Amino acid sequence: MPGPQITPWSVLRDGTLLIAQFVKAHKGSFALAVFGASMFAAAIVGSSIVIGWVTDNVIIPILDEGQDPNLLSVAGAVIVGVSVFKAVGIVVRRTAAGWLQFKTRQDVRNELLAHQLSLKMAWFESHATGDLLAVADSDTDQGTGVLGPLPYATGVSLLLVGTIALISIIDIWLGLGAVIGLVVVVVIDIRGSWITYGLWEEVQRRRGEVSSVAHESFDGALTVKALGREDYVEDRFARASDTLRDRLIDVNSTWIKYQVIIRALPQVLVVVLLVVGAARIQAGVITPGDVVTVAYLLALLAFPIQLIGFVLWDLAGSLAGWQRVQQVFDADEFMEYGKTSAGPSVGPAPVFGEQVEFAYDSKPVLSGLRLDLAAGTTLAVVGPTGSGKSTLCLLLARLWDPDSGEIHLDGRELRSFARSELPKEVSYVSQNSFLFDATVRENITLDAEFDDEAVERAARLAGAAGFIAELPDGYETQLGERGTTLSGGQRQRIALARALIRKPRLLILDDATSAVDPSVEAEILRALKGAELPSTLVVVAYRPASIRLADEVVYVDERKILGHGPHSELLRTVPGYARLVQAYEEESIRLRKEAS
Amino acid sequence: MNESYSTGSLIRRALVEAPTLRRGLWVTLTLAMSGQAVTVVTPVVIQLVIDEEILGAAGIDMVGVVQKASLALLALVVGIWVGRIALLRLTRSSATGLSDLRTKTFGHILKQSVLYVQAERRGNLVSRVTSDVNTLQEFMEWGGVGLIVATSQVLLATGVMFIYDWLLALIAVGGVVIYLFMMRWFQRILAKKYDLVRKEVGASLGVLSESITAIPVVRAYGTEDLTTEKVAGALERRFEVEWKTARFGNILFSSAEVFAGALTATLLIVGVLVGINQGTSAGTLIAFLFLANLLIEPLQIIVETLEFAQSAASGLRRVMEVLDGEVEIVEPDEPEGLRPGGLSARFEDVTFAYGDGPEVLRDVSVEIPVGSRIAVVGETGSGKTTFAKLLVRLLDPDRGSIHIGGVPAQKIRLAELRDRVAFVPQEGFLFDDTIANNVRYGRPEADDAEVWTAFHELGLGEWVARLTDGLETRVGERGGNLSAGERQLVALVRAWIGSPDLLVLDEATSAVDPALDVALRHAIDKLTEGRTSVTIAHRLSTAEGADEILVFDKGMLVERGAHEGLIDRGGVYAGLHRDWVAGTKSV
Repeated sequence: MPGPQITPWSVLRDGTLLIAQFVKAHKGSFALAVFGASMFAAAIVGSSIVIGWVTDNVIIPILDEGQDPNLLSVAGAVIVGVSVFKAVGIVVRRTAAGWLQFKTRQDVRNELLAHQLSLKMAWFESHATGDLLAVADSDTDQGTGVLGPLPYATGVSLLLVGTIALISIIDIWLGLGAVIGLVVVVVIDIRGSWITYGLWEEVQRRRGEVSSVAHESFDGALTVKALGREDYVEDRFARASDTLRDRLIDVNSTWIKYQVIIRALPQVLVVVLLVVGAARIQAGVITPGDVVTVAYLLALLAFPIQLIGFVLWDLAGSLAGWQRVQQVFDADEFMEYGKTSAGPSVGPAPVFGEQVEFAYDSKPVLSGLRLDLAAGTTLAVVGPTGSGKSTLCLLLARLWDPDSGEIHLDGRELRSFARSELPKEVSYVSQNSFLFDATVRENITLDAEFDDEAVERAARLAGAAGFIAELPDGYETQLGERGTTLSGGQRQRIALARALIRKPRLLILDDATSAVDPSVEAEILRALKGAELPSTLVVVAYRPASIRLADEVVYVDERKILGHGPHSELLRTVPGYARLVQAYEEESIRLRKEAS
Repeated sequence: MNESYSTGSLIRRALVEAPTLRRGLWVTLTLAMSGQAVTVVTPVVIQLVIDEEILGAAGIDMVGVVQKASLALLALVVGIWVGRIALLRLTRSSATGLSDLRTKTFGHILKQSVLYVQAERRGNLVSRVTSDVNTLQEFMEWGGVGLIVATSQVLLATGVMFIYDWLLALIAVGGVVIYLFMMRWFQRILAKKYDLVRKEVGASLGVLSESITAIPVVRAYGTEDLTTEKVAGALERRFEVEWKTARFGNILFSSAEVFAGALTATLLIVGVLVGINQGTSAGTLIAFLFLANLLIEPLQIIVETLEFAQSAASGLRRVMEVLDGEVEIVEPDEPEGLRPGGLSARFEDVTFAYGDGPEVLRDVSVEIPVGSRIAVVGETGSGKTTFAKLLVRLLDPDRGSIHIGGVPAQKIRLAELRDRVAFVPQEGFLFDDTIANNVRYGRPEADDAEVWTAFHELGLGEWVARLTDGLETRVGERGGNLSAGERQLVALVRAWIGSPDLLVLDEATSAVDPALDVALRHAIDKLTEGRTSVTIAHRLSTAEGADEILVFDKGMLVERGAHEGLIDRGGVYAGLHRDWVAGTKSV
């Protein structure tokens, strides 16, 4: 990728490498596209030869010398024939080039997803979702943009060689004039591409910014309005939009400067060659038909020559877009997996962890953690706001890895499991329940094989069966953007059913019922307790009712486990714990005293 | 919403919404056409040189050739310059106009309640101000320029043709007209195919972005392979449609070539046959063939641009649909001011439904006196949150009326209302900025000392002190670096710093630990003395200490009164409270 030092050559070199990478994957279609472009090029050269021939043998003899018009129909047929040949070339070229471009985009998007699926969660913390979506969408389009006009440009290059050869055969001096002219055009193109590269990068960055500001503002719309800050947010957006506008004007102005010159150059060339041609006719070296051929050829070249400019221009844009794609591909914080498979044991699994350390952003979150859970234990994790409870859950589910120390599930280190194996034994439900744009059933099964009975039982256990039955299509109701909108509590219950149906050996609930009504929550917890789940259960909870269901409690504060034992014991021995879980009770007592 | 928008009316509408696009458009067009006029110089010079010099009876006069060529070059330079000015003007006005349109659309979306009523549609709305406007911009800059240049080229070339030979010109024009009619017919078919492409593109991006957003879930449930397959399937369907449509478009595009060949051949044959009798010169006919060729390139550009116009028009249509959407919460025409001091609130027979859905609040009448502490309780879906949103005028009632401080809510200027009434929703949304700057959303002019004070007043000084960078700690995207409870703390301080006269909390501390929750409650009660506070409570400890409790059930206000009275009554509240006590009993 281009370093800080961007030269015309580095843009050209990196661009060539990028193109080579794309073309290598689909050599056949590129070759076909270039073949089509060559047909097109041959047709252009052919048509100018035909025009020259028609001038010398048809038009001048008939009109100026009064000969019979017997060759006229042949001339017409040849002209049409050449244009049909040219049209076929265009279809072949554009279709193959389109195939190449669309296929490459498809490949890149598939690979982007696969790559991201193999990265550690930590990587995602430092990358905004909106940005990653932009990479998979507009940056991928922009990064592969050069593939569209590329075969055409390749064809045009052949055309240029053909043109110069043809002109040189007619007359060496005319050929030399054409070579100099075309070299000037290409040099100007390369220079323009280099200058616009930096500007393009800036445009892509500003586009990302506009999109981020819009995302954030719409996400926080309720807050923005409640605070009456619409004007402020609008201002912020207007600033981002205006900066994008200015950068776009920059890049386009630069381009226009080059483009008008490049558009005009072939015409200038025609005029110059006409003067040279006139001199050569006078010298008796060439015929008037030759001059017409050359002039016609150059007039036809006006558009294709611009195309070389387009490719170099697109190349600069592609490099700028691809750089953002490449950054994702460059991420190498891969999840490391072992070879352990899930099973064969079933039923609740014991959990053991020792000397577990975890820091976020070099700020310690948990340190010296030790955890020893017998199979089938229900553990409540309790602690003040921001004490590291969620982190503990994420470590147990291996969404994060500890910086040091090990966690074992039934004697096997979490990191020793092969990909997709650990989730067969561990289910994790977070506070933010993510639902897919799919049916209720698909959201629970996640496309795994479960029969209706299993789905309904899991939904019942999660306290979701009632409201699902009232949805328009029951379990087949479409959720998400295209379907029904559910409340926070309902979403959480579907997410819970998703975990329960898998009968995990370790089930982790991170405040997973926070948006559910207290009475419904109590019901769910009672049901879970009564169902004799085949699981060891870890629950982050505040409510004493939930805590009391647990066999053991850990109290997390100041980055450590400050207490571990049965609820009643912690109440007696850990003051912080007692203060926390009895807060509401004491408040009630205080209020009653005040009232009386 | 407005399927009736034709492309023409869309463009007119865009010019109205973004007047910058229109400003000086005629000057730009005139300049572009004049610049284009020089393209015609080349064939004219070729004709002159061929007829008068190369084939001239007097033989070649090099001085004459050079003179004519110099004239042509001069005209070209002038033309380039004028054309360049036109293009620069166009790119400036289109970039500016579309930036204005973008900002206008953004502001309009922000005024609509769909953002928080149907959270799922947010992503979709973001593309209104990003990709849809981008498509337009690209069209204006490339297609628009191309179209103007190409059209003027066609007009000029035709004009010159008529000067040379009206019969041949007529044939050329006739051919072009037939060709354009053919293209229009093709376009209609193409438009249908493009709809399909857009649908598949949208679907594939939807699946892809959902998968990227859901990576934590995918990881937690080990569904990597399934997710990959699902995305691959959507991308494959998209590829098929894109490619097939492109193939069709290519055949359409290449037909211009065959047309060019046929036209050239026809002109040649007719020109020669008629020319024999009329004494047309060879130079004239050759120049004519060049002119005909000059027609082809712009025609191809026009065809391509029309293809491009399809996607630009559908983007513009979506933008206009947003601008057509009604703003639900409108500023009053004749505002009435609020008196200073605490604010009362009154609901009179208020009924509300979201869109065409069922009524979520029915005939609610309630009086909230100045300085009272009100708790609102009820099960999920009982209408509590809707009540709160109506109270702070994030929604307007379908029937009935709401008064704040004795003034109808719809007559209070929105800025004044937001200034005096604070609402803290449950989600605790934070912007990707520092804690201090997030708090300043509540009062932009607050300095660091005031932000500190606000945290201290609510007893949160210790919490801030524990953070790595204190008030300057960055909270990350959506506040992701903080826990859910911590985000709620910042949101609470943010509302508090505006020192509201009516404070409405919608389960604003639901993720905060019990001890801190109780402490916050005390701090708020003390601070809001003399002012009015309405708290939607999930945790009934808040209700126990309230002056009055409003109990909602299935959209109706079913009970109201103080804690003791409601317990004695043995109704809905008593039931909720029983569950609550059972839930909080520590032994």
